[in-house]
Amino acid sequence: MASIEVQRMQPPATVMHNRLQSMRLQSLVGRALATVVIATGALIILIPFLFMLSTSLKSKNQLRAVPPPLIPWEMTMVEVTGKREPLYRVTIDGETREMALVKNQPGGMGVFVDPFHPEQSVTLKIAEQTPVRHVELHPENYVEAMTAVPLPRYLLNTLIVTFVGMTGVLISCTMVAYGFSRFRAPWLSWLFIVLLSTIMLPRQVTLIPVYVLFQRLGWVDTLLPLIVPTFFANAYDVFLIRQFFMTIPLEMDDAAKIDGASPMQTLWHVLVPQATPVIVTVALFHFLYAWNDFYEPLIFLHSQKNWTMAVGLQTFNALYAVNTHLIMAAGVVMVIPPVLLFFLAQRHFIQGVVVSGVKG
Amino acid sequence: MRLLRRSRLTLAQKEDLWALFFIAPWLIGFLVFTAGPMLVSFSFSLTRYNIVDAPIFIGLENYVRAFGRDPLFWHSLRVTLYYGALSLPLGLLVGFGLSLLLNQKIPFLSLWRTIYFLPSVIAGVAVAIVWSRIFSPQGGLLNPFLERTFGIKGPGWFTDPNWAIPGLVIMSLWGVGGGVIIYLAGLQGIPTSLYDAARVDGANALQRFRYITLPMMTPVLFYMLVLGLIGAFQYFTEVYVISGGSGGPQRATLFYNLYLYQNAFKFNEMGYASALAWVLFLIVLALTLLVFRSSALWVYYEGEVRKR
Amino acid sequence: MRRLKTFLAVALVAGLLLAGCPAPTTPAGEPLAPQGDAEGKTKVTIFIGMGTGTDPDQIKAQEELAAKFNSSHESIEVEFLIVPHEQAGERFLAMTAGGNAPQLVGPNGISTVAQFFDSWADVAPFIAAEDFDTSDFYGPAVELNHYPDKTVGLPLGLFPSFIFYNKDMFDAAGIDFPTHAYDDPSWNLDKLRDIAMELTLDANGNNAKSPDFDASRIVQWGFDDSWTDARGFLTRFGAPNVGRPTTEDYKTAVVNSEEWVYGLDWLNKAVWEDHFVPDATVQQARDAAGIDPFGSNQVAMFYSHTWFMAEGLVDLPFEYDFAPAPFNQKGQRIARIHADTFTIPKNAQNQEAAWEVLKWLTAPEQIVDVCLIYGCIPARRSVEAEFERRLAERYPNVDLDVVFTAIDYLDNPNHESYVPEWGRINDVLNNNFSAVYLGPIDAQAVLDQTNREVQQILDEYWARQ
Repeated sequence: MASIEVQRMQPPATVMHNRLQSMRLQSLVGRALATVVIATGALIILIPFLFMLSTSLKSKNQLRAVPPPLIPWEMTMVEVTGKREPLYRVTIDGETREMALVKNQPGGMGVFVDPFHPEQSVTLKIAEQTPVRHVELHPENYVEAMTAVPLPRYLLNTLIVTFVGMTGVLISCTMVAYGFSRFRAPWLSWLFIVLLSTIMLPRQVTLIPVYVLFQRLGWVDTLLPLIVPTFFANAYDVFLIRQFFMTIPLEMDDAAKIDGASPMQTLWHVLVPQATPVIVTVALFHFLYAWNDFYEPLIFLHSQKNWTMAVGLQTFNALYAVNTHLIMAAGVVMVIPPVLLFFLAQRHFIQGVVVSGVKG
Repeated sequence: MRLLRRSRLTLAQKEDLWALFFIAPWLIGFLVFTAGPMLVSFSFSLTRYNIVDAPIFIGLENYVRAFGRDPLFWHSLRVTLYYGALSLPLGLLVGFGLSLLLNQKIPFLSLWRTIYFLPSVIAGVAVAIVWSRIFSPQGGLLNPFLERTFGIKGPGWFTDPNWAIPGLVIMSLWGVGGGVIIYLAGLQGIPTSLYDAARVDGANALQRFRYITLPMMTPVLFYMLVLGLIGAFQYFTEVYVISGGSGGPQRATLFYNLYLYQNAFKFNEMGYASALAWVLFLIVLALTLLVFRSSALWVYYEGEVRKR
Repeated sequence: MRRLKTFLAVALVAGLLLAGCPAPTTPAGEPLAPQGDAEGKTKVTIFIGMGTGTDPDQIKAQEELAAKFNSSHESIEVEFLIVPHEQAGERFLAMTAGGNAPQLVGPNGISTVAQFFDSWADVAPFIAAEDFDTSDFYGPAVELNHYPDKTVGLPLGLFPSFIFYNKDMFDAAGIDFPTHAYDDPSWNLDKLRDIAMELTLDANGNNAKSPDFDASRIVQWGFDDSWTDARGFLTRFGAPNVGRPTTEDYKTAVVNSEEWVYGLDWLNKAVWEDHFVPDATVQQARDAAGIDPFGSNQVAMFYSHTWFMAEGLVDLPFEYDFAPAPFNQKGQRIARIHADTFTIPKNAQNQEAAWEVLKWLTAPEQIVDVCLIYGCIPARRSVEAEFERRLAERYPNVDLDVVFTAIDYLDNPNHESYVPEWGRINDVLNNNFSAVYLGPIDAQAVLDQTNREVQQILDEYWARQ
């Protein structure tokens, strides 16, 4: 279909040269525009992340500022007759000097004193003076967040769940996607809908029966409920891989078939190489899922020694504790491995611009 | 495997057995891990069940109650549809558009892609905390920005029943980067030879997009549409965190799944929650089948097998 | 096609068999093999998470407690199971359905007991069987665990409520601190409103009584009781059923009582006319910033419970003290209370062992340590002096008499107490009540409507019985 349309709009050869030139200009302008849009979007995307970062570096006291500033400011304090008082830049008769606020008074007034000469005091409206502040970072939050829990143990569990699960998902989903995209049995269409329907029922209502099932199997408080099901495929990934398999022309299978390849060999030697981008994408998404999922591990894992990183992260969410800075610090740490992985891996599955063109 | 070599089998039977072999991992997993719990939850839907005591069979009473005399059932369905109607098309459009831009030859491409990928990495809870901060009408980030740039006085967002859903939609757009990765993988699969041919034929960028990129991307768009549909109906985690599980302000964010969750674990009515779940299941299934039906008209597969 | 049909039939049967298998056949599921370790000890799992979080310090203290118990007991082994608060309900119910219910759940507030009311065993038979002496517990604390058809646990601790006030703000406004005396009749809601308005300041430093006051730029509020729900706020106004939204037989809704209408209207005026209570916008900003009202240093008087002390009074950049709840419009003093207890799930195995552990946890020798973990006041009179001493070490500059005396004015029926359809009724109440923080309301109309909704839930409930 696409190639027919392209043929129909062939222009006369005489205008070709001009057109090519204007196209080049167009694409240059277009690219500049694209860069601007992308950069703006990236900035918007980064703002919440910067919030996380800045919160993770604040002290408990800095957290108390409403509204929370993006920069971790801290009021500058000075010692005045043995007590620490906030420093202000005050204006007296057009002259600006630094004085400490020692006492609030009715009507929004405050008593300011010179920190070096506490006997010199003046009463001014507080709202009209500028507090002196400085940036103060608390990287020790990271140490606290990381040592408050048995981190190596959590990391080990997470790595087991993540990588064994990734293997399971890749093998099973690729096979099943092949089964659903390359065979002609009419019942496959219906089974495919059944496959999709498994993700249509909210998991809140299957949670109890699933728990009971794993309990009967003796799998509760082991990592098995998080690992074993990955070897039996899931609708999200099967569907995705199927969609990509179905864009690969059948002629390639037929050629392999004529060479005497079995379906297994066709899958491995013809389809998988063609679908590498999507298979790596699936691997990445499973990594993310396993890395961040706390709901299932929480329900199935009893002992702390079996917890994963994501469950550990949840433990900072104590009911009455104000541990936002630690939650964010742990959150930032959790983000680093997947982002690093993505940054390093992306060239292997989404190369610059469309260049592959192996097929067609 | 020996079975397959037997000549008594016709070619079609052989093929069917191969098909069965390939989908076997899912089929076995389905029968062992998924089908049972699904059926059990259906049987719960015919009972009054508080989980602690034995379920009491009450027939279709839960379904009658949902359709007949539970205003919150209809309300939560409306909330969910409203959100889905906004977020699904917007998400598809923005995600696809971004991926087209990120597929251009622009400087620092890997960096941009990594940044756009970032939101899908951060776990749901931290996201919700950060966003409630951004939307905060007092000293948040968004409202002062709106005021400075456009002179608009921003709404109360999550404290204003009329603006809570649009707020959640904006929040969901932040996370489209995950979909961008899939679109990029799809764009990558389009043979460059098609573009070369079109260029030689003098097709401009718009025509190349219209007649090559778009049709070749329909399988991916189809995937995103179906999963977006299923996902929108099950929207839960973010709103749970932001509203503290209450669906507030004034039930403006009482999503279907949140209401279902409340019934299951806050109101001790697992039976009713299961009935709600199966109603949702049927709605989503029907919509999905509709989308599948329509796919013949607009989804283009290069390698489609005709079913017998 | 025949092959396919056979296959589908087999698949269906397999599916049904599997489906039937995990369905709980009895409430508790099939009994599992008796639990116990190699030494044949009976295992008692204590489920933590319903009423408290997963603070690393708490986890450690609990482990020490378990070690103390295990080293002194031959036949029982205690193990703490920690679940983050948000998922605790699901986890507990899943375990119950799996026939694997924990032996003890706690520390449970009155609301947790009410929310999962059907889950708990009656401990009255245990008490009766050994003629267990409960006289050392505060009477009201024992009372809180008594329900018409069962006693749900032994009292562990109490969380009385009172006013936390910011001394610096009072000083700055030149206002006397509120009285600490429980017998001073002048300390009532009118007086509270009066000083709260003077303590409410706009960005220019004008207070809420000043004609120049700019209500759109408030930076400091006089009073805040936002960390409670509808029943919690309204319980202080002295309705005949106090904190309970129904009559004693649970059949009639009494939400639109004269007292509750007065109370909601009082709050409505406080937020929208007198401006001394922050609205939803301000509350949301604080929540988003992850800080509590008192710690924000923007609230002069914060009403809360002793549980707020553990986390809320750390490193505050100002001086503070405690004052009693004021007398209400009827001249009564009602200081709502929270209470903690450990409960035994009725589906749990080894309930006798659970009872032994429950007694141990609430015994005079342990109760102080246990209460220090969870921040409650031990429910036993005999340790009051010791506990007050230890509390004074930690909070040397506050009036702890205010704290202990508040117990005498608790709300009964309690604002968290059980009613049928507890979750659904509270959801309706809170949804309608929270409107007061979003915009001005007609208190009478709101509570009339709420009453109809609650009555409907009750009617449906009783029709099913």
